[in-house]
Amino acid sequence: MNDLYAAVVHDVKNQLAELSLRLGERGDAQKEVEIAMSAARRLSEMLLVLRHENNLLSVNADSVNAGDFMAELAAEYREMFPGLTIEINDEKAPDLAFFDEALVRMALANAIHNACRSARSKVKLAVTEQNKMLVLEVADDGHGYPDSMIGKKITTPLPVSGRGTGLGLYLAAKIAALHHLKDQQGCIELSNAEGAVFRMILP
Amino acid sequence: MNESVKEAVEVKKGNKLPFESNIAEKWVLVIDDMEGMRSQLRMSLTSAGFAKLHVVSSIKDALERMATSRYDVILCDYSLGEGTDGQQFLEYLRTNDLITRNTIFVMITAEQGYEKVVAASECAPDDYLLKPFTAAQFSARLEKLLERQEYFSTIDKATDSKNWGRVIIECDKQLAVKDKYFIDLCKIKSSALMRANRPQEAANLYSEILALRPIGWARLGLARAWAQLDKKDQAKALLQDILKETPQFMAAYDFLGKLLAASGDKHGALDILQKAREVSPGTMSRIRELSTLAVSAGKPEIAETVMRQALQKHKYSPVRHANDYAVLSKALVNQGKATEALVVVADAQKSFKDEHSSIVLAATESVAHRAAGNHAQADAALAKAMSMGDLSKLPANTVISLADACFISGREEDATKLLRHAIQNNHEDEAIKDKVHEVLTSAGKHASEATALIDESTKEVIQLNNEGVLKAEAGQLEEAITLLCQAADRLSNNVQIVGNASLVLALDLVRNGNSPVKLGRCLHYRDELIKKSPNHPKIAQIDSLLKQLKH
Repeated sequence: MNDLYAAVVHDVKNQLAELSLRLGERGDAQKEVEIAMSAARRLSEMLLVLRHENNLLSVNADSVNAGDFMAELAAEYREMFPGLTIEINDEKAPDLAFFDEALVRMALANAIHNACRSARSKVKLAVTEQNKMLVLEVADDGHGYPDSMIGKKITTPLPVSGRGTGLGLYLAAKIAALHHLKDQQGCIELSNAEGAVFRMILP
Repeated sequence: MNESVKEAVEVKKGNKLPFESNIAEKWVLVIDDMEGMRSQLRMSLTSAGFAKLHVVSSIKDALERMATSRYDVILCDYSLGEGTDGQQFLEYLRTNDLITRNTIFVMITAEQGYEKVVAASECAPDDYLLKPFTAAQFSARLEKLLERQEYFSTIDKATDSKNWGRVIIECDKQLAVKDKYFIDLCKIKSSALMRANRPQEAANLYSEILALRPIGWARLGLARAWAQLDKKDQAKALLQDILKETPQFMAAYDFLGKLLAASGDKHGALDILQKAREVSPGTMSRIRELSTLAVSAGKPEIAETVMRQALQKHKYSPVRHANDYAVLSKALVNQGKATEALVVVADAQKSFKDEHSSIVLAATESVAHRAAGNHAQADAALAKAMSMGDLSKLPANTVISLADACFISGREEDATKLLRHAIQNNHEDEAIKDKVHEVLTSAGKHASEATALIDESTKEVIQLNNEGVLKAEAGQLEEAITLLCQAADRLSNNVQIVGNASLVLALDLVRNGNSPVKLGRCLHYRDELIKKSPNHPKIAQIDSLLKQLKH
């Protein structure tokens, strides 16, 4: 994709975002807000994937308070999906976490968005530590991932039925993998429990 | 450091911070050139509970607002149309102390501009807001920032008054609590240690942080500390490493360029700054560094391209200085394009009318006229430059430009006098000495002759100072006062001399009883000292003498 196309995508993305905010002001159009915002985010992801393919995406890890980070994401999606309960569990969160806040926010936002769409009534966000790795978890109570997705390494964008183009998951996997510390590398893990469980594991 | 950073990782949380945000009382300034975004931000702010807000579309309007109102929060879009961008604006605000450290500055970016902003961490905003964002996300973020603002208000106040000792003490207090701001506190403390000239402690703290995680700012900090500790090669190697791994880390280019230039490798420095420019066109300070370096490295064509582009871009922006035009003019003159240089100077004279700028530009004009063969005009411009302003109050760089123009016009005696003054007023500043050396050699002096003049001027001022101190120690206080006060009035930028003038006056007050006139002068020099060097050890000495007066 050349620069002109990228610029157009960029513009359309901003217009969608504006549309979404304007709809939000009306207070009676939650569904429309969600559609416009999700379309804008999709374009953002596409631009990021493009940057990644051109080796322009790099990680700037710094200290982040993971609890505050999740709380902010939850606030956003509670507004967009007022019918759902969004819970946060950060009791077992490590006190200091290090990652690229902006990139991980984008990846998690996508995961939460998908979870909110698939959930029947509840989405659970959790921050834990496992083998000295930070685990950011998004779980819903919907139908779960298809069996074919479970335990699979994501190397290309794979559409998940009813869950969009798969671009978001692909990007999340790339963002996780860009986080490394010594010989450890970040990854994402998909599993099913009450519904779908998305985990981003970062060194 | 008392608290080990490692230990802090095991810190237990549950230290919920007491915080009540008083949103309706906070003043907010929004700067965005797009009408759509402005109304969005206004709506989001209002619905989040903010009541006091000003919304403007340009930097010019923002500065007008800021001249009369104090803001708690500034939201600024990264891309502000064709001219100066949000990052350059922030650099301008910070370098000119136009906002307090406690003012929250949030950069609103689209992800394309994002990395440029992050990477310029030398002058980083407090947070970024990535478009698109929802109203709820926006208010959650602002609430978090306001909580942080309140938490850091005491430390920020100490930072604003450049009281690094106080910053360090306050950080230590909070570090002991081990709350969620632990790493932020380490960052502030380590940079305060550097400013307080305690590089070994700073290096230790940076190393402790790096043992946890190779964070970019801590690596750069360590390189700075090493450079200060005279481990210049280690510092350079670390910077090269940083740039290999994160080529968009702009602050690392800037510092590496500085180190190379300081060690005499002008071409190496120029290469590094050129590489930085390929990644991001950068802020005015990099452009200045690069073009000044290019002129002195004999590559005026690079200086011309870079400075012309920047001045074109910032045509109507406050981030420009008269000196930028002077550098461009010099680059042109050095390429034999004197007529073009005259156009540049005339252009600058239209927008810069203050005294310092007028002097710099008149001196520059004189040089350009001389090169163009207009000798009468060259003499007239130089005469004008020399007649303006009080020499003792001019910045060293202005004095040096004047000297340069004097040399070119054959006024060698005046030039030497000016350079001596520049050195004596800044006798501990190596960068000033380098510049003086350069002016002398480009005027045809032999390097050894230039060094001799610099050494001699330095020695003279040290002798003068010592003489004053010796007289004071020998009890000849009146003579010491006369000597040091005269010197302090002439060399008002020399903190040694100004500090000693205040000290010997204080001593006289203690010994010979109070005199309102002497007390007034003593306090005047003390104020001058604090203004120039808030952490100068002499301040404490002066104060302890003045305290005795009251008893």
